[in-house]
Amino acid sequence: MKASIEWLKEYSDIDVDSVTLGDILTMTGSKVETVDQLGNDIKNVIVGKILEIKKHPDADKLVVTKVDVGNEKLQIVTGANNIKVGDIVPIAKDGSELPGGVKIKTGKLRGIDSCGMMCSIGELNLTLADYPEQIEHGIMILDKKLEKDLGKDITEVLNLKEDIIDFEITSNRPDCLSIEGLGRETAVSLNKPFKNPRKNIDELQVEDKEELEGLKVDIVAPDLCYRYIARMVKNVKIAPSPEWMARRLKACGIRSINNIVDITNYVMLEMGQPMHAFDINSIEGKHITVRRAKNGEKITTLDEQERELDENNLVIADDKKAVAIAGVMGGFNSEIEEDTKTVVFESAVFNGGSVRKTAKKVGLRTESSSRFEKGLSAENALRAANRAVELVELLGAGEAVDGKIDVYPTKQKINKIKLDVSKINSLLGTNLSKQEMIDILQKLDIKVENDIAIVPYFRMDLEFVADIAEEIGRFYGYDKLDSTLVKADTTLGIRNKEQTIQKKVKEVLVNSGFSEIYTYGFVSEKDLELSNIKEEIKKYAITIQNPLSDEYKLMRPTTVPSMMQTLAINANKKNQNVKLFDLSRSYKNVKQEVQKGEVPLQEEMLTVGMYGENVDFYTLKGIIENVLEAIHVNHYEIEKETQNTSYHPGRCANIKVGKDIIATLRRSSSRSFRQLYDFQKSLFSGNEYHKACKICKSK
Amino acid sequence: MKEEIAKIKENSMKEINNCKDEKQLNDLKVKYLGKKGELTAVLRGMGNLTPEERPAIGSFVNQVRDELENLIQKKEKEFKRKELEKKLETENIDITEPSKKVQLGSLHPITQIIDEVEEIFLGMGYEIADGPEVEKAIYNFDKLNTPPDHPARDLQDTFYITEDIVLRSQTSPVQARVMENQKPPIKIICPGTVYRSDSVDATHSPVFHQIEGLVVDKNIAMTDLKGTLEMFAKKCLGENTKIRFRPHHFPFTEPSAEADVSCFVCGGKGCKVCKGEGWIELLGCGMVHPNVLKNCGIDPEEYSGFAFGFGVERIAMAKFGIDDMRLLFENDVRFLKQF
Repeated sequence: MKASIEWLKEYSDIDVDSVTLGDILTMTGSKVETVDQLGNDIKNVIVGKILEIKKHPDADKLVVTKVDVGNEKLQIVTGANNIKVGDIVPIAKDGSELPGGVKIKTGKLRGIDSCGMMCSIGELNLTLADYPEQIEHGIMILDKKLEKDLGKDITEVLNLKEDIIDFEITSNRPDCLSIEGLGRETAVSLNKPFKNPRKNIDELQVEDKEELEGLKVDIVAPDLCYRYIARMVKNVKIAPSPEWMARRLKACGIRSINNIVDITNYVMLEMGQPMHAFDINSIEGKHITVRRAKNGEKITTLDEQERELDENNLVIADDKKAVAIAGVMGGFNSEIEEDTKTVVFESAVFNGGSVRKTAKKVGLRTESSSRFEKGLSAENALRAANRAVELVELLGAGEAVDGKIDVYPTKQKINKIKLDVSKINSLLGTNLSKQEMIDILQKLDIKVENDIAIVPYFRMDLEFVADIAEEIGRFYGYDKLDSTLVKADTTLGIRNKEQTIQKKVKEVLVNSGFSEIYTYGFVSEKDLELSNIKEEIKKYAITIQNPLSDEYKLMRPTTVPSMMQTLAINANKKNQNVKLFDLSRSYKNVKQEVQKGEVPLQEEMLTVGMYGENVDFYTLKGIIENVLEAIHVNHYEIEKETQNTSYHPGRCANIKVGKDIIATLRRSSSRSFRQLYDFQKSLFSGNEYHKACKICKSK
Repeated sequence: MKEEIAKIKENSMKEINNCKDEKQLNDLKVKYLGKKGELTAVLRGMGNLTPEERPAIGSFVNQVRDELENLIQKKEKEFKRKELEKKLETENIDITEPSKKVQLGSLHPITQIIDEVEEIFLGMGYEIADGPEVEKAIYNFDKLNTPPDHPARDLQDTFYITEDIVLRSQTSPVQARVMENQKPPIKIICPGTVYRSDSVDATHSPVFHQIEGLVVDKNIAMTDLKGTLEMFAKKCLGENTKIRFRPHHFPFTEPSAEADVSCFVCGGKGCKVCKGEGWIELLGCGMVHPNVLKNCGIDPEEYSGFAFGFGVERIAMAKFGIDDMRLLFENDVRFLKQF
């Protein structure tokens, strides 16, 4: 959420610079992403008037001008050809600075002194979008009225200075997706009074009506729409917004369109309540219904894209068709047009989860949906509707129609929380008095009556004592909290047997020259196939519903393919003599656990892999014996494994303890695998580490 | 006779002193002291002496023999030493030539960080806990106060096996499992692999590692959390490390905070690693949400707790100066052996 300092000042005195303000707000929980100080990079650029233009004696494409900058007259050489005598232009004098750190100094151009430079819009970091009457390549020609301001700083004259802070707002604080909310945070953070410029709106009474000029509203899905307010303005004159409004919208990253559309956006930014405006003529039957969409119902949204809906999506509809996807975007069919005369302002509150799902389904995450999905206050909706009408009158954009339609099936619950002073102190580790707590809460508009904290309508996130503790902690100052260590009975911090074994195993392997690898638990169908493991084990693989790609589609039932791939990667990089080990998990859906909603088998496997000179079956056998020795598994037998066709039948062995195979030693013989990865000699062992571990633990 | 002996002494001493090698010395030994040697011959001639002369001559001969034997011994030692010196000289080697050491392998950087963190918390009396990676949604979300329509449960963030089974998106489900199965006091850390639906790039990976900490007991306060993390940061990142708490929001803690540490590269002056801010965002933490305690069968009126969690890769990358996360999972042995 972006906010301009100028707008925030409506709510709180701000007597610190923007960077400091950003730091202070970050420490009270409104994390600042960036502080933009627009216009600060333009220094010493002033308004000048061109008095004469002469040809340059030595250059066809240059002219020599004389410019009046108020207290002096400067000679400036320029190559521009869009200037004429009498033009008012921005002049970068000797010693001035332009965006991007460009410094302007007096110099000679083809032998003629030039005491500065005339600027284009680009050189002042302005855009054609904001100054459509200007040209891109050429000098910026200022309004003739500015003749009275010769010598004055261009940033003042054009009002180019603006400080904008971009906040990262956490999902529990939709109230801070508004200037009002941020203004309140600012006031409390700076310990200043919150100036409520909307007092008139808070106190305004507007009569409830069944109909407004024949318009009626029904909510047929009250589980998804908690409140729907309609207000109306007539004799509307669609026009551009005034500069102050367009400027504030722009600071918050929203483009100005026309007065009515801008008012809906302005109110959303100011109060955090998304609004919608319809042309009354597009509402057939003059009847608005808030209902679920029909399966397959289509609507073309304001961005002229057709979207298909289903019965989980909420729409605003007239008697014939949907005119908006509730909380997401309006329909193209009810858009405000140049000739719109009567406008209906919608200020409604929808179920957050439903808006989020709908926005995802239609692939439109808007300023509106991202606010609704966090759950908005129904009480605030009325303020927003009234504010929109007030702005219409303020801008002279139309006349208010008396009364409002207010369908409010689910009244917003106001949370009341016991102010449990000792619980709050014990949670925070503080020793604050009740009065100190009340003082903080009151600044946040949380009233305390008879030890009960009454949460204001805009703070729906506050439900528990712990929430109140956080508010008190935030403004007492997290930085003032002491650092203590847990005072409790002594607990024993030791590794359990399994963790100890794991450490030992890794130690032996590292000391024997093996490097540990970390691999993804994913495997592709292709690689699982190539690894030639037993068919029954392949069947244990677990499929991810929404994988990133086919490569990451399955959870591996064995870590062997991961080792094979890693050996291959090293071979492709021409690494000689590679010795690796991997101690990680395999995931096996042996008994259809996943389908039953149970957790599948997840066992640790040790895989040792190597290739290179002087590496043979006996090297592998030796290292596995070392590992077993280190974890005190001394009684085991080695048997030739001939059943497993995946590996070289003459060079494959099982290590057994009793009937349990705890390790398999093998040389890769899979031809396809070797061809694919192109290396001749590789050996690895897939070890049923968990079994060895169990034997070791039982000793 | 006395003169004869003195002459033998004089001659033999001269010859022994002048002898060049061990063989010559042996010959001289035989020549004078052997059974047929000159001195022995003299002794044999003792029978011709008067009983008065015998003792004096006898002792003189013995004295000469002792002297000769001593001299021979001394000479022998000298030859032995010279011989050894000569031998050693021929055996001289170049000690600067390459060694024949056993090549060591290496622990993965992620293991190294986890080990380090484990040691710190083991020292503070924590146990190490573990849980499934293919986990029930109820443990990954519901019990952690993340109800079904919460954005974190979206398909775009979490890998689903079925509606009820997910790849855990955090190590927090281990907390829930431990709380269900163990009575307070609980002091655990749980390092482990977690999964999120992020495409692979220099700073993202669908698989990464977290370390989570949890303490539940009577009267656990936020100040304890701050003190614990401060201790951890100093041990892990250097004694001068400072920590700061910023209010934040997580569904499973309240109050919640994000903890920043003073940049351990520049010490807080501002550098590339901390983007000029002097602080590095380290972890999320807070007091365990009363709903979470309740969901796991612990009475929030009686007990309180704190929890924290952070990404291992981030710390590994910052500490080891690794600029691309992909390197950690590529496992090029040349990379692995650097740490």
